[in-house]
Amino acid sequence: MRRDMWTRKNVGAVATAALVALGVAACSSGSGDGGDGTVDGEGKTLDVWIMQGTNPSADEFFDDVSAAFKEETGADLNVEFVEWGDAHDRFVTSIAGGTTPDVAETGTTWTPEFADAGALAPLDEFVAEAGLGDDLVDGLVEAGTYDGELYGMPWYAGVRSLVYNTEIFEKAGVEPPTTWAEIESAAKAIKAEFPDKTAVAVPGDAEFTVYPWVWGAGGEVATQDGDTWTSGLDSPEAQEGLKFWTGLAKDGYSSAGATTWRETDVLDAFAQGDVGMAVMGSWTPGAIVEANKDMEGKFAAVPIPGKDGGMSPSVLGGSHLSMFSTAEDQDLAFAFIEMMTTGEFATQWGEQAGYFPGQKSLLDETLESTDPLVAPFAQQFVEGGASVPVSPNFGAVQAKLTTSTMMQSILSGSEDVETASAKAAEEMTSLLNDGN
Amino acid sequence: MTSTLSVAAPAGPGQSPGPGGRRPFGKSLLARVRPWMLLTPALLVLAVLLLWPLVRVALFSLQDYGLREIVSGEPNWIGLGNYVEIFTSEQLWAVVLPNTVAFAVLSVAFTVMFGTAVAVLLASLGRVWRTVVSSAIMAAWAMPAVTGTYVWVWIFDADRGVFNHVLQSLGLQDAPVNWFTDRWSFYAIVLLNVVHHGFPFVAITVLAGLLGVPKELLEAAEIDGAGAWRRFFSVVVPQLKQIFAVVIILSTIWDFKVFAQVYLMPGGAGSNREVLNLGVWSYTESFGQNRYGFGSAIAVLLTLLLLGITVAYVRTILKEEEL
Repeated sequence: MRRDMWTRKNVGAVATAALVALGVAACSSGSGDGGDGTVDGEGKTLDVWIMQGTNPSADEFFDDVSAAFKEETGADLNVEFVEWGDAHDRFVTSIAGGTTPDVAETGTTWTPEFADAGALAPLDEFVAEAGLGDDLVDGLVEAGTYDGELYGMPWYAGVRSLVYNTEIFEKAGVEPPTTWAEIESAAKAIKAEFPDKTAVAVPGDAEFTVYPWVWGAGGEVATQDGDTWTSGLDSPEAQEGLKFWTGLAKDGYSSAGATTWRETDVLDAFAQGDVGMAVMGSWTPGAIVEANKDMEGKFAAVPIPGKDGGMSPSVLGGSHLSMFSTAEDQDLAFAFIEMMTTGEFATQWGEQAGYFPGQKSLLDETLESTDPLVAPFAQQFVEGGASVPVSPNFGAVQAKLTTSTMMQSILSGSEDVETASAKAAEEMTSLLNDGN
Repeated sequence: MTSTLSVAAPAGPGQSPGPGGRRPFGKSLLARVRPWMLLTPALLVLAVLLLWPLVRVALFSLQDYGLREIVSGEPNWIGLGNYVEIFTSEQLWAVVLPNTVAFAVLSVAFTVMFGTAVAVLLASLGRVWRTVVSSAIMAAWAMPAVTGTYVWVWIFDADRGVFNHVLQSLGLQDAPVNWFTDRWSFYAIVLLNVVHHGFPFVAITVLAGLLGVPKELLEAAEIDGAGAWRRFFSVVVPQLKQIFAVVIILSTIWDFKVFAQVYLMPGGAGSNREVLNLGVWSYTESFGQNRYGFGSAIAVLLTLLLLGITVAYVRTILKEEEL
């Protein structure tokens, strides 16, 4: 896992994809220019679900997409926006009722889960036909692959880094931290200058802000050996990371409320100018300014510091576009998927929403950006990206709020790091191995 | 319900009264059957909308029913496995059941007491003030549970909440306290929320009863020297027994299955395991873990528990009447 996902683990996935690509390319006509005028969707309607949550509004973007899609295929596009928070339930109920959309955005941790249930259609053939096999971002391909087949088309990915309030940092006379010790001293200086502000937000209900510290100290969230998963949250390294992170709260640099904060609460507080620094996503700068115009130009980002310099790995979260097995016209569905995940629209979406595209050739362009609110995230994305356990059961771990439970009991003082992390590791191990 | 339907079925028009000699019997049969015939459409609707889902939940509870079973539609029977797991779960006995039962008892008690007190107040007010006060409490009633919950969460918010702010200005605490992390303070807030949302129904219902209590009885009691408390508990309360029965049973049912008011509170969705109740437990297990069978089993138990309480309560009431 972790950085290795870009190298070790995806060898298999890429090899599989390449093989399939070879096999299919042999029988296809090979006009892989992507502009498939072959799809005739005249009079048809494609139902699509797109998630919404912390990213800026997407209505206009999808108006353009609909127009372009109509022009290319003759089919109408029916886009429905679904809140991230409700989405899992919506998917499950629609799977039960056989009313799934043709195409939907699925979070990377859900794709294997739905594929495992038999609700998704494999995409390898289509990808190969479009000649895209080698141009997809490996980490997203890996997360979208279940049982050797690709079920989630890489669309975009985001990563969390350390976002800080430049005004607060200047007034407190501190520089952006590059080591854990510097985070602590910066927090101390901020607290001294602004006793009423949250120097560093340590939220209790935001698992993705926790894992970087586990990895940064050399620990693991979970490792796989054969078919067996073992959570490493209770290893001495992981506990060291947890002690550092929760210690910041214990020393009074966070806030009492943060014990029950979610990432949206962190965003709110940061946008109000009440937070010195926090672990936040590459897609949040837009939302911060949207929430409070005054924050424009008053914050910046750095990759999450490593313990003694360097970088602590951060979770690469992202989305796939998945085709449901109920899709009547799979060619039409893939035409939409291809339009969204490659070329112009993929670039636009990434720029507007602060995400990194799932197509390698586009990603390379984004990574060259010098924008101070893009470059640090890009650096984190390439050099310090990591993945949560790639298992159809990880969704269950997330839903059980295993990590949040651990964090809240540590932050509220009801359990120490050793006890809480041992409990969490036990629960995570058992959920990951629950072979249903 | 199935039995009532089968009774109704042969009661078609063909069964109408025979020749003269059997008329009295025929008439009484028709008389007995007629109400059921009239009720049949409504009962059918209820059967489809209520009974069938109930049966499905009961059937799911006997299966290991996950996402894969939903997609394939294949049953996966495991007998009473889910129930065994529930009853052997430490979490049920240590956290979930105590939280659910204790909370329900307290909130029913407070809701009914406060609601009755407000009803007495309303009964003693003049027309204008009665309208004003009852409109005000109607507003509390009309507020959706979700909105109400967020208002209470906001009031008790650790960093920006009014409650902490007041305590600190009064010098009662030095630093902000997060009231949502502790089991007791968490449920105290839920209690406030649920009582606030539930008392108007009690108040209005009891008020209707209070207005129906004959004035003569109260005057007679007063002449006999009964004080206000005595008049209330010895004259009014016995008159309102039926109303209290309805109000208590309904409140018990509502307060047992309280969900949104817990789930939406910080930490209430499962990250604070100390505050789980039956409703939230059932939800997170079924929808979070894709264990619909297990969640259904919890729901079935909750239903049985409520049925049990209701039956027991109704029986005591009826027995007292017979005496």
